[in-house]
Amino acid sequence: MDAEFYKTLFDDGLISEESFNKLNQPQQHPDLSVHWEVRTLLYVGVVLLTGGLGLAVYENIDTIGHTAVLTLIGLIAAGCFIYCFRTTKPFSWDKVSAPNAYFDYILLLGSISLVSFIGYWQFQYHIFGTDYGLATLIPMLALFFTGYYFDHLGILSMAIANLAVWMGVSVTPKALLLQNDFDKGTLTNTYIVLAIVLLAAAFLTDRYRLKKHFKFSYQHYGVHAGYISLLAGYFHYYDGYLAAVYMLALFLLSALLYFDAMKNKSFYFLLLMTLYTYFAISCLVMRMLFLAATEGALYLAFFYFIGSALALIFLLIHFNKKLKTA
Amino acid sequence: MIAYNKTWLNNLRVLAVFKGNLEQGRITSEEFSSISAVYPVGFYTPGFFARFGLAVLTFVIVLFGDGLLSLMFWVSGAVGPSGWIVFLALLSYGSLELMIHTRHHFRSGVDDALLFLSAFQVIAGVAIFLYAGDENYLALSFIIFLVTLFLTIRFLDTLMAAVCVASLFSTIYLGVEKIGAIGLTVIPFVMIIASALVYLAVMHVKDDIALNNYQYCFVAAQVICLLTFYAAGNYYIVQTLSNELHGTTTPIALAPFFWAWTFLVPVLYLGFGIKRKDIVTLRISLLLIAAAALTFRTYYHILPVDIMLTLSGAIVLGLVYAITKYLKHPKHGFTLEAPNQANLMDDLKIESLVVAQTFGHTQTPQNDDAKFGGGKFGGGGASDGF
Repeated sequence: MDAEFYKTLFDDGLISEESFNKLNQPQQHPDLSVHWEVRTLLYVGVVLLTGGLGLAVYENIDTIGHTAVLTLIGLIAAGCFIYCFRTTKPFSWDKVSAPNAYFDYILLLGSISLVSFIGYWQFQYHIFGTDYGLATLIPMLALFFTGYYFDHLGILSMAIANLAVWMGVSVTPKALLLQNDFDKGTLTNTYIVLAIVLLAAAFLTDRYRLKKHFKFSYQHYGVHAGYISLLAGYFHYYDGYLAAVYMLALFLLSALLYFDAMKNKSFYFLLLMTLYTYFAISCLVMRMLFLAATEGALYLAFFYFIGSALALIFLLIHFNKKLKTA
Repeated sequence: MIAYNKTWLNNLRVLAVFKGNLEQGRITSEEFSSISAVYPVGFYTPGFFARFGLAVLTFVIVLFGDGLLSLMFWVSGAVGPSGWIVFLALLSYGSLELMIHTRHHFRSGVDDALLFLSAFQVIAGVAIFLYAGDENYLALSFIIFLVTLFLTIRFLDTLMAAVCVASLFSTIYLGVEKIGAIGLTVIPFVMIIASALVYLAVMHVKDDIALNNYQYCFVAAQVICLLTFYAAGNYYIVQTLSNELHGTTTPIALAPFFWAWTFLVPVLYLGFGIKRKDIVTLRISLLLIAAAALTFRTYYHILPVDIMLTLSGAIVLGLVYAITKYLKHPKHGFTLEAPNQANLMDDLKIESLVVAQTFGHTQTPQNDDAKFGGGKFGGGGASDGF
């Protein structure tokens, strides 16, 4: 873009004289941002360092001794948390930015150390005995508290993952841990409950403005957990009448998600809704077609996929337009 | 030669410049909207997620459409497999042109998928044809070069541009290899010279006004050239290839030269990246420094793994600390501030997902069987190279 071009715009009356002068001022080259590069390096450094230290401890555990290692991990966690409590900005239910560039990483290191500390302690000395529910509940609560108090999305995600572990472990602890063989139906339903909890959390987060920006994480994990476990349930009870219940629940989820995505103008969730629902409908159609195992059914299946994918393309384009204009 | 409407491409560039001006407060938003009225863009270009969804669906349609056609017509056996696949490629290509000309798709997912599919199908068809006789990689890579060159010129696609440059280099490599003993000795140097020449050529035409629709293609070409330039002299690669080609395991000649190359070129890139303020070269240099360290590690185990990891972690963290201190206030045209344009990374909250992926499962040792709902998505195709 040169001065001549700006001049034509000015002559055509598209820009005011003031703007024209501003455009013609010698433009400073904006500084080149190395923000993401430095962040990536920081991340790589943390992974390398913790990996190396972990490996060193693992190889020399005989000479170091468990108590010493445990103490060291505990001290790291305590140090990090003391630093974070001292430097953090006052708590608020709105978004709170980190006081400095290292804060998030120090908090992350502290949380990981804390969780490893509890896990290590349990693994080596069985502080919670065989009560694995309690052993996973405490780290989870600590992570949720940390995530909310210091406003850290990464730790919130860790807490959500831990919630899934805690729910899975407390339903079928022994079978899951000892024989690696568990009742799939129970586990599927547990994760459906997890999805409901997460989606409810997303709703309440938004409704009562409790850290509104956390909604995405809850909804993201809740939607995936919900669809995957409903589909798993459908296939688990494939021949029973329960399969229909799972399918209906899936369509209900889709409907709710559709309204929410439209309200919040989130194309991401709209796309997830569309693709998961399409997969479910396709499963039903294929099931119907393969009841009649003829060559005609095969042709119909091909036509179904071509036609439905075309229809879906128009649907997505329509959604996209609707979100933009709405 | 370009399939897309050139006026609109130009208007798109004009608007991008004024969007920057708008963000920096040099023009008002009323002025911006009146400018966008004069420079209309009629392309259909949805957002990232819509693009992803449309691409997936286009793949489904082409897959089943081709399957159906094959089921109906090809089973008669009138054409061989290679001819049939090339025919399907022509169908994909026809639909691509049709979508662009009638529906004005531009980077909508539909045109991306169709472009990829037609390139893939043509190349697959030709490969089947060539492999029917003896395996002729030289001819194949030359044909890939021609096909992707045409598609790059016509559709301005960065992926095609990258494949085009890469296949040019592989054609040169396979050609030189055919010469015989002399060819085998000089391959690294031929590749170094070839990539340097292509790089210089790209740099020369990069800022040509007549070619400014190709700016992202040039970036892709630049990346491939920089990587090839380094790889051609990297000790590990030269050693491995020479063993394979000669069928021996003797150490290569000129080892000091290649070792020096392995370590100095990344540093050179780093210097150039900083001096020219070129983020692409800068990122590649960081990647290649890691590659150099790995190369060294492959041949010399002077330190046990744990100490090496800890040490390198400490060095990297020290470096980050130094950079942060140094750039506390923007200096020499570099800043630590996040770039202000709305970033896709922020949109998806990628960082928190990555954290959950890497550290999410480090808690109690017994949780490995139960990671059902935890972070399975992992950012999907979000790490596409642009």
